[in-house]
Amino acid sequence: MHLFQKLLKAGSSLALAGSISAALAVGAHAQTELNVVWMGWAEESVKPLMDWFGKENPDINLNYQRIPYNELLSTLEVRLGSRTPEPDLYSADASLTASYAARGHLLDLTPYFADDLDRFDSAALGAASYNGKMYAGPFATSMQLMFVNVDLFKKAGVELPSTDIDGRWTWEQVREAAKAIAKPEDNLWGVLLEQSDRPYQLLPLMQSKGAQLVSDDGLEATGYVNGEKFVEATQFYADLFGADKVSPPGLFELNLVQEVFHTGHAAMMVGGTWNLGRLEKSADFEWIAVPHPYFAGGVPVTPTGSWQIGINPRTEHLDESVRFMKFFMRDDVQAEWYKLRPYPPVLKANWDNLSDLLKGKPWEIAKYELQNTAVPRPPIPGFREYEEILKLAFRDIQQGADVRERLDKAAREMDRELAKYK
Amino acid sequence: MRSRTSAALLPVARYTLLIVLAMIILAPIVWVAISSVRPPEEIFLYSPKLSWRTFIPETFTWENYRLLWESDFPRAVTNTLFVAFATVALGILICSAAGFAFAVFDFPFKNTLFVVVIITFIMPFEAIVVPLYVMVRDLNWNDTYFALVMPEVASGFIIFLFRQFFTKVSKELFEAARVDGASWWRIYWDVAMPLSWPTVVAAALMMFIHQWDAFFWPLVAATSPDLTMVQVAIARYLQFEQADFGRLFAAMTVASFLAILPFMALQRYYIRTIVDSGIK
Amino acid sequence: MRINPAYYFLAPAFMGLSVFKIFPIGVAIVGSFYGTTLIGESVFRGLDNYLSIFGDLDLLRSFGITLLFNLIANPLQIVLSLMVALLVFRPGPLIGLFRSVLFLPVTLSLVLTALIWNLLLDPYLGPVNAVLDAVGIGRQGFFKDEAQALGSMVWLTTWRGVGYWMLFMLAGLYAIPESLYEAAKIDGASWWQRFRHVTLPLMRRPIAFVLVASTAINMLFFAPVYVITAGGPNGATDFVMFRIYQAAFNYIDVGRSLAMSTVMLVVVLAVAIVELWLMRSED
Repeated sequence: MHLFQKLLKAGSSLALAGSISAALAVGAHAQTELNVVWMGWAEESVKPLMDWFGKENPDINLNYQRIPYNELLSTLEVRLGSRTPEPDLYSADASLTASYAARGHLLDLTPYFADDLDRFDSAALGAASYNGKMYAGPFATSMQLMFVNVDLFKKAGVELPSTDIDGRWTWEQVREAAKAIAKPEDNLWGVLLEQSDRPYQLLPLMQSKGAQLVSDDGLEATGYVNGEKFVEATQFYADLFGADKVSPPGLFELNLVQEVFHTGHAAMMVGGTWNLGRLEKSADFEWIAVPHPYFAGGVPVTPTGSWQIGINPRTEHLDESVRFMKFFMRDDVQAEWYKLRPYPPVLKANWDNLSDLLKGKPWEIAKYELQNTAVPRPPIPGFREYEEILKLAFRDIQQGADVRERLDKAAREMDRELAKYK
Repeated sequence: MRSRTSAALLPVARYTLLIVLAMIILAPIVWVAISSVRPPEEIFLYSPKLSWRTFIPETFTWENYRLLWESDFPRAVTNTLFVAFATVALGILICSAAGFAFAVFDFPFKNTLFVVVIITFIMPFEAIVVPLYVMVRDLNWNDTYFALVMPEVASGFIIFLFRQFFTKVSKELFEAARVDGASWWRIYWDVAMPLSWPTVVAAALMMFIHQWDAFFWPLVAATSPDLTMVQVAIARYLQFEQADFGRLFAAMTVASFLAILPFMALQRYYIRTIVDSGIK
Repeated sequence: MRINPAYYFLAPAFMGLSVFKIFPIGVAIVGSFYGTTLIGESVFRGLDNYLSIFGDLDLLRSFGITLLFNLIANPLQIVLSLMVALLVFRPGPLIGLFRSVLFLPVTLSLVLTALIWNLLLDPYLGPVNAVLDAVGIGRQGFFKDEAQALGSMVWLTTWRGVGYWMLFMLAGLYAIPESLYEAAKIDGASWWQRFRHVTLPLMRRPIAFVLVASTAINMLFFAPVYVITAGGPNGATDFVMFRIYQAAFNYIDVGRSLAMSTVMLVVVLAVAIVELWLMRSED
């Protein structure tokens, strides 16, 4: 027992815990209660699945909590960091599998899914694995497309990008078209990056240039994050906001970037497939979706990864937790989930099961990308730190900081934070 | 002569200033309220470029409110009201008592204890949240109203507030009552408290607002949907990947309107309560 | 032996404070001398956490920004809230309504206040910039401009803070005996003289409260930084609390975060004690 726990034990007695809590304790449950921390999707996207599970498992009482995205990671940090048996299960960000696994917050699921591994999309399974073991159940994945406002292209007399994979535009082409259309003084922009400060969206630029993101052992950033190719790609990114003035600097909130595109103030937006719903429903301009751009002379790389489900290794309800996990990995459950919230499927079978919904050019592209160009974020335990430091650097760079100096600083900070995983 | 003109001008100056201030304060809230009766797609459609549509909805709709009503938002409001009122009821009692002690009595370690009171409200919550969570869990309180109410009942801020204001109440008053044979409890309850209505109001509103704003702690300690608090319910409309600005603005409007009601109700206690030297 | 009656009055409050505040603070301070291994074991680090933060020039800069913010925001809020309280203190037509309007921003949490002002002041979508553009001033960066970001934060916290502190200023004003004003009037004192010689001296304790309380709140200013700027642009709003949060939840170095919190505690306590000493009354 370490000091912290000892102190806490002392605290409980200080609080006269015995008498008070005994008086308040709710009567013993006939049902087992599963405590689940869930990403804060809308209630109507979450409740149907939870109710379904409840109906099939009347002996389990589900206590699920939807947490807004901005607070999910910190809330989990408190709950998991206290190393208690709760929550039993939680929504784990796909980029943090290694971080949670290395710190003992994820149960190794390999024994439970050994025969099932080939059911999963390989990129999604890759993101759920660490050191060759499966630590989380893939629940959703993501893919980015480039959305194009056709009206703005036509008005400026600029040639449209192709919707074919073979006609994939380079970033250089995107920049030229953007320059021809953008009128910053009229609040009209050429190209938007939906998550303009997030490594999720930006690392594929560096990877397309051929940059290595971090040392092979995941412990060093200097020489990688401030390496030649990384700097080159970041300079291109910086110029979109600075020299070329085709992208609005300082607009970080993904929801607001979406508004700029959906209200017709930008010609292109590289963004998630979740934009398709709103475009189909209410766009008052003609639009198309085309493949994610790449750098001339480089390789196409697209971002992927989204949400997974993890089991807390300290759970006191292991059997029930595994049942919950298995339920959510079922084809029919994930098919229903797609209807509630259309993330690209993580189960290979669901591309066929849902073929009447996943039809049309945008989904054709997304499927191709997931199978051919999607690269998950580096599976290093320190990705949380890496990501946050890089995000702050991207923010400053977007707003005019010198690219090389800022990346040097970021690399130094990363080295300091990554050292704890040595 | 001069003083009469300035006396006549004072109300004009007073109301001019008040109107200017009210406009600065109301503009953002009115913008939120107006946006809440727009279809979500329209909210930012006209805001970047000035026209009449920037301020007046092109399409008027109650849809956002209807959706809000059908969601877990009403439950969150009820929860928060319950938690806030419970906290206020208990908190005012025990904090005013402690404030009274600091203001009226002399006792060993008085200054040390007062410094301790100050320390309790200047430690960043982020630093104590983990031990607090573990303790509440050990008490078997996690996921109950107790977890939301009890940690906020004894508040250093409120004790400090009462200490500052009780000291103003003339000590002669208390001593006179002592001479008449009143117990300290009677003096606190029948003399000090009634003489401090505006302070009690300020303290009650401060505690109410503190719970109304509660956000991070409920996320950590109150996990079941039945215990959702209002700020958590609001924040969920700003979902990652897809925000629901319509319901977000509707929720903010309702939350703001509800939280002003206690203030409007309690204002009537804004009266002079010190009875001038008259009390014997 | 008789027990001092003070302890009966203090006991319930101190029971609550001990369990939910003092004890966790103690754990936090002890924790600031420890580190945590990956699997959650505590390791004694001595003063290492403190040495690492004192050697961090960026953190010193953050303390500078936090103090500067307080030096501007706190006096501003105190003066404005006292002024506003004086405006709505005496009864009059519609005064109740004006009071409520002034209190209205308090009904929005700091997180929501940040959200609203971030939208209002957005350079691309915000209506404020639409107006500035239309009247020829031109679009401003506000939170997105290195030179304006800290000022915008002061604006945000003042917009919400004035109505809040008004509560306590009002409570103070109502406790001033009317007879003192009557006497001053009979002596022919102007409203300024009455304010200077009657109101201000008797408002010493309420003002001291607001001073200390606003220091405590604004030294720990955090939510808007998290929601809007993440410390940027280029470090312009890099408050200490943002670093404490980052270290605990994003850089997963709880020991360092607790060391920063402890230093912060000492700094704020020192400032609060100085403020109370400066505002002490003669009695």
